[in-house]
Amino acid sequence: MERRLSELRPGERGVVVRVVGERRLRRRILDMGIVSGTEVEVVRVAPLGDPVEFRLKGYELSLRRDEAENVIVRIHAGEGFGGGGSEGGS
Amino acid sequence: MEEIRRIREELSKKLGEDLEVLLPARRYETAGEISRRCLRRREERLTLTDMLDHVFLHRALGIPIFLALMYAVFQFAYSVSEPFMVMLEAAFGWLGSLAGEAETPLASLWADGICGGLGFVLVFIFPIFFLFFALAILEDSGYLPRAAFVMDRLMYRLGLHGRSFIPLLLGFGCNLPAIMATRVIDDERDRLITILVNPLMSCSARLPVYVLLAGAFFGAYAGAAIFSMYVLGIALAILMALLFRKTIPQLRGKPAPFILELPPYLRPTLRSVLLKTWQRGVVFLKKAATILFAGALALWALSSFPWGAPLEATYAGMLGHALEPLLRPLGFDWMAAVALFFGFLAKEIVVETFGILYGVAGEEEIQAAVAAHMTPVTAFAFMAFTLIYLPCLATFGIIRAETGSWKWTLFAVAYELALAYAVAATIVAFGSIVWG
Amino acid sequence: MIRVALIGNPNVGKTVIFNHLTGARQYVGNWPGVTVEKKVGRCTHRGVEMEVVDLPGVYSLTARSPDELIARDYIVEEKPDVVVDIVDASNLERNLYLTLLLLELEANVVVALNMMDVAASEGYEVDAGMLSKLLGVPVVPCVATRGEGIEALKDAIVDAATRKERRRVAFGFGDEIEDAIKRVEAVLSRSGSEELSRYPLRWLAIKLLEGDERVEALVSKFV
Repeated sequence: MERRLSELRPGERGVVVRVVGERRLRRRILDMGIVSGTEVEVVRVAPLGDPVEFRLKGYELSLRRDEAENVIVRIHAGEGFGGGGSEGGS
Repeated sequence: MEEIRRIREELSKKLGEDLEVLLPARRYETAGEISRRCLRRREERLTLTDMLDHVFLHRALGIPIFLALMYAVFQFAYSVSEPFMVMLEAAFGWLGSLAGEAETPLASLWADGICGGLGFVLVFIFPIFFLFFALAILEDSGYLPRAAFVMDRLMYRLGLHGRSFIPLLLGFGCNLPAIMATRVIDDERDRLITILVNPLMSCSARLPVYVLLAGAFFGAYAGAAIFSMYVLGIALAILMALLFRKTIPQLRGKPAPFILELPPYLRPTLRSVLLKTWQRGVVFLKKAATILFAGALALWALSSFPWGAPLEATYAGMLGHALEPLLRPLGFDWMAAVALFFGFLAKEIVVETFGILYGVAGEEEIQAAVAAHMTPVTAFAFMAFTLIYLPCLATFGIIRAETGSWKWTLFAVAYELALAYAVAATIVAFGSIVWG
Repeated sequence: MIRVALIGNPNVGKTVIFNHLTGARQYVGNWPGVTVEKKVGRCTHRGVEMEVVDLPGVYSLTARSPDELIARDYIVEEKPDVVVDIVDASNLERNLYLTLLLLELEANVVVALNMMDVAASEGYEVDAGMLSKLLGVPVVPCVATRGEGIEALKDAIVDAATRKERRRVAFGFGDEIEDAIKRVEAVLSRSGSEELSRYPLRWLAIKLLEGDERVEALVSKFV
């Protein structure tokens, strides 16, 4: 099932399927390692409800919900889609 | 170029994905593979960082802890430095007295101009160095991004970034280190806005002015009157930040995205903390201290010449008279104008200037003299004017240094003058309607 | 004198290493036209004088943020003799992303594998020898906060600056993309532009495929 990263709750995980949105922002998100195939876990939400802390590739990153909205994840890892974008649409 | 574009489009169609997305993903695949071959995880451990973040970023405790930490920083910077400041002031007073009574221009230049000016500049140094020291500890420990994480929601609502909060908060102490602390803001626009509105945060130098006037006019409500200045400053800062964001082309747009790493906490090393403190302190000395000293000398000259004349007949007095027509609509007389003019050097000087102008000394005597010259409405307008009208000279210097632009520095001066005038005029107009 | 540039992600201890390398012999300025701090220092090691430039902490080298542009322009245009890439051993994968970008730029990279103590405390064992082999560049393990590894790093910098031959490892992007890179390279070489030959050909090709605005603007003058 595909969802936006901003919709996940603390403790939930998803595997990145794609990153959408405005080019510049998308590139910054990709550069931080949020690329297709990466597993992302929601760690916690800030005291005022935004931003959100995530764990990926062994480090902690925080994004506002506005930014996390652009990341589409697949809930439930282990369906064989973890290997990156190359299996994509050719 | 056409051919290159064709190759790019052909390929991205074939792979069903934008190459701008695909290439970073492939790099990360390579990075992941290399790191897997070089890393062995012996055991899974709960790290210190995880444990600390459970507390520092806790839903209920996160903000109180942040505020407590900031309070500690202030306490450290301003309380610890107090005895040093007192000693320094005494030392320069003594040095000044070496020239004897300041009866000749030269003796006065030494005592009031040079020693007074230097002492005045150096008094700034201790709190600023201690503040830089405390901030360097927070920075090296890895806490600063957490502070931004905790406060971002609030700041985002105000059109700013989480990282803007600490510099604005520091403004309540002194705008100068506060503006230097904006260096942690990556986005140039966010940083500029934070710098521009920073002088509206009521720094500690303005407090003596509020205390003097509120004590003279508002009796039991003095506390409320003083508090209202802080609220007014915050409200104006928010308003201006939103306004600048909406109207100034170079600043327009949304705040920068919040994509912030929360790195592991580290124990700060003394060496690195001291080095940071020193490097930033040197910037203060170079950019602010020199301009402050020059300003102190200029003001000394303006208020001392023609030599032997009473203050009203000096160049400063003449300037006050020249400015009076401009300030008349606000109910300020020439003496208030002189006080404000001197306040450009540092706002606490306004109090001293009143004392000199009225020829009295001591807090209560000055209060009584001021009470005879102003109405409560004028006094309140004067407090607001003092809050807003100009960044002090040192802040002016640091805005120039940190923005690297005369244009933005002069803009800060211009908008503050206009805003101060507008707010004071509103208070006077409103007051005259209510109290006739 | 050899010119050394320090680069790395934010929070990897870059400033600490800079301070260790240069001691008190450093001065602070600004990069031309921007308010980003520029720190330069000097040191002498084994009789070789080095000038060390501290580049801004960055995660990537796209042309879209002032910090990244400063770092990238410095490496591309000023061509420092050695680029010391400071890598956080406790956060290897994300840090290696920047390393790969530097290798695409064909910079003379020395990796300072810092925060070995943090990695160990998190239960990781990092194989620096293997990393060096896979990346094809020298890798020096360090704990900068305690000054460990700094002498070895200086040795590696001097060695790298004086070494004639370099082993180049090109990391592939997969057959289809590699094929496209070759075709773009061919278009670029055909232009015969002297201006373009100042830049690594493969890097230009990769950036063009990625749609990098600055490289597009540069190349469109000649192709």
